[in-house]
Amino acid sequence: MKQGSFYTLGYAGALGSVCALLLTAASSFTAPYRLANADAEMKRNILDVLGVRYSPDASSRQLLEVFAAKVKQEDSGELTLYRYIPPADSGEVETVAVAFAGPGLWGPIKGLIALGPDAETIRGLTFYEQEETPGLGGEIASQSFREQFEGKKIVDEAGNVGIIIKSGGQSAINKVDAITGATMTCDKVEVILNEAVRKIVKEFKK
Amino acid sequence: MANSQPPLVPCSKGLCGGKGLLTLKEGAWSNNPLAIQMLGICSALAVTNRLESSLVMGAALIFVSACSNLFVSLLRKHTPHRIRMIAEVAIIATFVILFDQFLKAFYWDMSKQLGPYVGLIITNCIVMGRAEAFALQNPPLLSVVDGVANGLGYAVILAIIGFFRELFGTGQFFGCVVLGGEWYTPNQLMILAPGAFFALGIVIAIFNALRGPQGEENKK
Repeated sequence: MKQGSFYTLGYAGALGSVCALLLTAASSFTAPYRLANADAEMKRNILDVLGVRYSPDASSRQLLEVFAAKVKQEDSGELTLYRYIPPADSGEVETVAVAFAGPGLWGPIKGLIALGPDAETIRGLTFYEQEETPGLGGEIASQSFREQFEGKKIVDEAGNVGIIIKSGGQSAINKVDAITGATMTCDKVEVILNEAVRKIVKEFKK
Repeated sequence: MANSQPPLVPCSKGLCGGKGLLTLKEGAWSNNPLAIQMLGICSALAVTNRLESSLVMGAALIFVSACSNLFVSLLRKHTPHRIRMIAEVAIIATFVILFDQFLKAFYWDMSKQLGPYVGLIITNCIVMGRAEAFALQNPPLLSVVDGVANGLGYAVILAIIGFFRELFGTGQFFGCVVLGGEWYTPNQLMILAPGAFFALGIVIAIFNALRGPQGEENKK
């Protein structure tokens, strides 16, 4: 079958349009579900870092309900605070979480930091998005690295604001051990965290 | 489906002109895309650390190769020869993205686990290969059978690898612990990349041994 250039062009255009139409339709049909899932994912991260308990196999909708019932979201200056005020008899303490983001070694690093009622003591830390080298920098997402931060303070005894991530040396109230072989990632995480920490301190010292 | 006799196929026995079963067997067994043709190895290594993700990936491939074969075959007499490959890729990509969007909307956890590998089906040699080698020359219904057969051949191998990797790597079956307690320590190697290579190699060796010398004849 001999086909001219116009036929070929027309065919390509028609096929492309049909495919594009189909994809647009599918995308707009699934958009609300996809957005709800992404939203629930973010809220699950916030609930986790705040230490709020919820059923591990909760659906996206249940998660959103738990979040709406237990976490208060408030805007304060440049920051969005996620505040969890536990019931008085639960023995848990009030916690506030703040999101942070910045450039890592290979890609953006995004996470959340949770602070206790004094707004100085770290209660939890998560990295929900990172593309660091698996096994090296990627270990920032591991529990053993993140657990080091719990109980540390974002201000040292002398009143200097900032967290130090460094191997060796004297231990300090605002220092955690870096990951061996992942110096670049740790340096970048330190910069990102300290930027967030400075904003937090500025906000709470008002 | 049962009452639509294809008028195009002469001397038709059944729906696919008597070639249906042969095509099915060819794709799923004697010319298995993974074990014999060694196609689609990348995704087979990447997503098989859990049985569930292997099954979803297999389902995705069955869906995509069946649908793309159908449309490539339907359009085969109208597609200009020069741009046929672009047309095939456009059709394949459409179905892959449809499946990906569906996963993201209704099966979020799985979508996160599979990551980019669903989207990468677009470049899967099995799908493109079947469109080019089969759907361009054969009627629609038979092409669908061929797509399903090849998807199935891929899915079954994936499921077998996924089953053993999950079982030995985590001691679980569909996320429930079956090998556990004090007498079994999960072998982490199995859920890492090297485990995938070992598992795939063993499965291919067994597959070829079962298929016997007949396969060797076919190759000549």
